Order: sequence, then structure tokens, then C-alpha cells
Amino acid sequence: MTAESLSLSTSTPAVSDPAFAPDATVEVTNTSVWFGQKVALSELSCSFGRGVTGLLGPNGAGKTTLMRAITGLLPVNQGTVRVAGRDPRRDRSVHADVALVPEDEAMPPGLTARQFVRYIAALQSVEDRGAPDRALAEVGMLAVADRRVDGFSKGMRQRTKVAGALVIDPGVLVLDEPLNGADPMQRLHLITLFRTLGTGGRTVIVSSHILNEVERLADRIIVLIHGRLAAAGGQRAIRDAMNDRPRHVLVRAGDSRPLAAALLSLESVAGIRLDGDDLVVSTNRAAELAHALPGLARDLSVRLREVRPLDDSLESLFRELVR
Amino acid sequence: MTTAQLAKQRLWAIVAYTLRSCIGPRRWVGCLLPCGGALLFGLLAHAIDQPADEAFARVAADGIFALVVPVAALVIGDAVLGAEVRSGVFHFTWLSPAPLTEVAIGRWAGGMIVASVTIVPACALAPVIAGDGASMGAAALASFAGAAAYVAIFITFGCIARRTAVWSLAFVFFVERLLGAALTGIAQWSPTWLSRSVFVGLADDPPDDLVREGIPAGGGAVVRLAVITVIALAIARWRLSRIRMSGASD
Repeated sequence: MTAESLSLSTSTPAVSDPAFAPDATVEVTNTSVWFGQKVALSELSCSFGRGVTGLLGPNGAGKTTLMRAITGLLPVNQGTVRVAGRDPRRDRSVHADVALVPEDEAMPPGLTARQFVRYIAALQSVEDRGAPDRALAEVGMLAVADRRVDGFSKGMRQRTKVAGALVIDPGVLVLDEPLNGADPMQRLHLITLFRTLGTGGRTVIVSSHILNEVERLADRIIVLIHGRLAAAGGQRAIRDAMNDRPRHVLVRAGDSRPLAAALLSLESVAGIRLDGDDLVVSTNRAAELAHALPGLARDLSVRLREVRPLDDSLESLFRELVR
Repeated sequence: MTTAQLAKQRLWAIVAYTLRSCIGPRRWVGCLLPCGGALLFGLLAHAIDQPADEAFARVAADGIFALVVPVAALVIGDAVLGAEVRSGVFHFTWLSPAPLTEVAIGRWAGGMIVASVTIVPACALAPVIAGDGASMGAAALASFAGAAAYVAIFITFGCIARRTAVWSLAFVFFVERLLGAALTGIAQWSPTWLSRSVFVGLADDPPDDLVREGIPAGGGAVVRLAVITVIALAIARWRLSRIRMSGASD
């Protein structure tokens, strides 16, 4: 990880700080939000500009709270949130240019997908009568537009909500876990759509707790942990942060002791711990280990039963980032 | 399109949405049960050993306007806003540049359309069942004006509290029934007492003991109920601008 490309949380924002976009349309300054005793956001400062920015963090990190604060659904207890220089909580004209796709599955019951999107269009005074159908077509929901949203799967609901957001042609699009429930084809389609919107000059903010998903969507990533900014930067910087840290890999083999001795000779192995018949291998270069291990086992005539990373989750990356 | 046309289009969209989405099958059942209650109260009047108009006036005062109308309005008022806020669906409406006054009025208007086809006809039919057909108009007007005020009040509760039903029932039974029975100052601004007063003021020769001193009757009570409706909607609009929507899962 490099200091230029990855910013760990600091209280004082700098001009070159990757937490701040150069052409910011959404600015979050020293923002705190709490619910009773629970602090959801703590003195968070960052900004979002044109293109797709990924908001990454484990469950409970404050991603949804930040998105609700950006759209004005939640008042902030401290600090400010500005969208195009306006307070989304006080200035309702902001909502003509900001759309939110919430994570909640809840949708208005009794409406068809078309009625839902038309309702949003009517509230936003969209005069183009063809806009709702075009928005539904963009997310692949036109064929089922006359079906009621109550009967939709989670993925279909998410796509309908995305259509509701797209119908107003927003400058700022806030998407809270938009790929939840979508099948692989739909994911690919939505990722392409969001990237197109980003390259088209819109500010797209996408949250997820899955690093690979955010990497495919966003060029810039902001990592939140416990309501604080943990890291920000390009996806390469975040990935490097993940690759540079020691990993633990569980190896189950027929005869583990000679394999352990052979593994210790590898440069990619930092240490080995025996856990019964299992080996827990520490490595800084997981890819190298993965490449070398099958050949080593074959040379020793040892049968590999299982090779599994023990901590290859985003949570472990987050733990590393805040250590 | 002009600004007025756009506002009209938005308002109609909100009303249509309220009717389509907020009032689901369960809510319709919830509205129709008090309607059945109103008709039963009409039948109950036959059990009172008094002339039909007097008997119905007593049943209407204590049963229809004090129980049936508020309960039906509670079902409707909670459905059009409070239930949406709790379920995390209301933000689809809130996250738009539509003025919150339009949102509050549109939701209330949608609720009143439902009230107009459920509880108001039931209340109008109750005197006919009781054998006092002449009171039909007074019962209809009193129930409409009472429902209008109640729906607005319960919409306001939906913006203020998450447990709308609990607060609404506490308002009806503790504030209006208990305190309102003892304190005229409260009864003067109570939809229960005022809708009852609308009916008593407009009905032919109601029993004297149903007329309460210090409360306007007939048309005066209708005006008072209209004022309560406007004030409640103004508070709802103000609260909507400060509502904290943290979602259904929070």
C-alpha cells in the first residue's frame, strides 16, 4: 500500500487526500449521526464526485446511515452534508436531482412495477410520458412491468427501485447494496449500467460489504468502519492493502508433517502452526503459496484434502486497516 | 405544463397512490368492521324504549360518534401515513421535490375518499335502520366532518410517533372520553364531542341532555371540525419536514 494512493483515516482533510473528490458534488464534513447511545457516524469527512464511488464496510459500519444523511432522510447531529452546495434536509429542490435506491426490501404494496415508477415520475414532475417505460427497460423489468411488486423476488424489487431512481435522470444516484438478490446476469447488467451512468458524468455512490463487487463497480473506494473513515483510495490501493497483510490458510492433508516441513522452505510461508492434523499456514503471498502447494504435495505424494483461507473476508481486511 | 398543472398532477398522483397502495385488503376489512358496528348501533336503537329519533340520538352520541367514527378513522389515518413511515416505504414519497403540504393534503384526501365510501354511508344508513330516516343527513354530515378531523389528527400522530395506534387510542379514550367528559375546554376541540354536537344540532328535536353547554352545535361545530382538520394538517406538514426516517430495519 502506498501513502499516495491509500489514505488511512485522519481528522484533518488535505487537498490531495483521496477521501475527497476533486470535483465534489456531495460533501460530508465532520458529520456525526447517533441513535441514542449508538454512534452510527463519527466525525466523518469525505466527498463524492462524478463517476462511481464504492462505499465499503462491514455490516453496521454506517454505510446506510451515511447514504440516508446524504439524501436528507436522516438529520445529522453534528457537521454538515451538502449536495451541489445545498442542504438535502432543508432544501427539497435537491431531491429533483438525487435518487436513492434503499437496501430495505419494503416497497409500496398493491402497485405494479409500472405504477410504482410512474408514481415516482409524477412526484418529480417528469413530463416525458415514455420515461417510466424506458427506465423499466433499462433494468430489464419492462416485460413484468404490469406485475405487482408484492410478488417480486428481492432482485426484481431492487431493479424496480433502480428504475424508480433512473426515471428522474438524477445527477446524484445513491445505491445501497443494489446488487442484493440479483442473479449473475442481472448483476453484470446492473454493474455495466451503473458504470455507464458514472462515465456519463453522474455521481454514483454504491455501497456494499463485498470487496469484489465494489471493485467491479467503482474506481474509487471509501471504507467505513464503526462509523469512521478507515481508508479511501483507488481499488488497487485497497486490494494491495488486502494482499500485503499476512493471511492464514488451512491445509488438510493425508500426512501433514512432511508437508509442513516442505512448506517452511518456501519464501512465501511466514510460519506454520499445527492444529491437530491440520496445518495453519501464515503467508504474505497467498497467490505464490496457492501456486506452489499442489506441486509440493505431489512431490511428497501427500494427498491434499482441503485448502481454505481462514480470514479471506472483508472483515479481516477491515481489522487490518484499523489496527 | 404550468406550475398549477404540475401541482395538480402531483396531488392526483399522491391521492391515487394512497388509494392503491396504502389501503390494502386488510385495511379495507379494518374499515368495514366499524361500518358493521355503525349498522349494529342502528339496530340497537330499537332496544331502547324511547321514540326512534331519541333512541337513535342516544346511540349515535355514545356509540357511533364516540367509538365507530374514531376507530374507522384510526384505521384509515394510520394506513395513509403512519404505517408507511414504519414500514420504510414513505421515503419514496418524501424523497421528491413535491411540497410537503401537497403530500399531507394528498394523503388526507385519499383517506377521506375511503372514509366517504365506508364509514360515512354506514353512519348515514344507521338512522334508517333505527327507524329515524330524517336524521340521515345529519348523521352523514357529522360522521364526514368528524372523520375529516380524526384522519388529519391520526396522520399527524403518524408523523410524530412510531406507535401511532397506541397514541391514537390514548387520545380518543383518555383525552377525549375521560378528560373531555369533565373539561369543556378539551371537549370544545374534541372531534368526538364536536361531531356529536354536529348531529345533535342538526337533528330534529334531540334529547336535551345530549346538548352540551359551551360547545358549538350544528354548522358551528362543522366549522370547528374544519379548523381542527386544517391545524392538524399544518402540524403534520411541519412534522414531515423534520421526520427522521431510519428505515424499517432500524
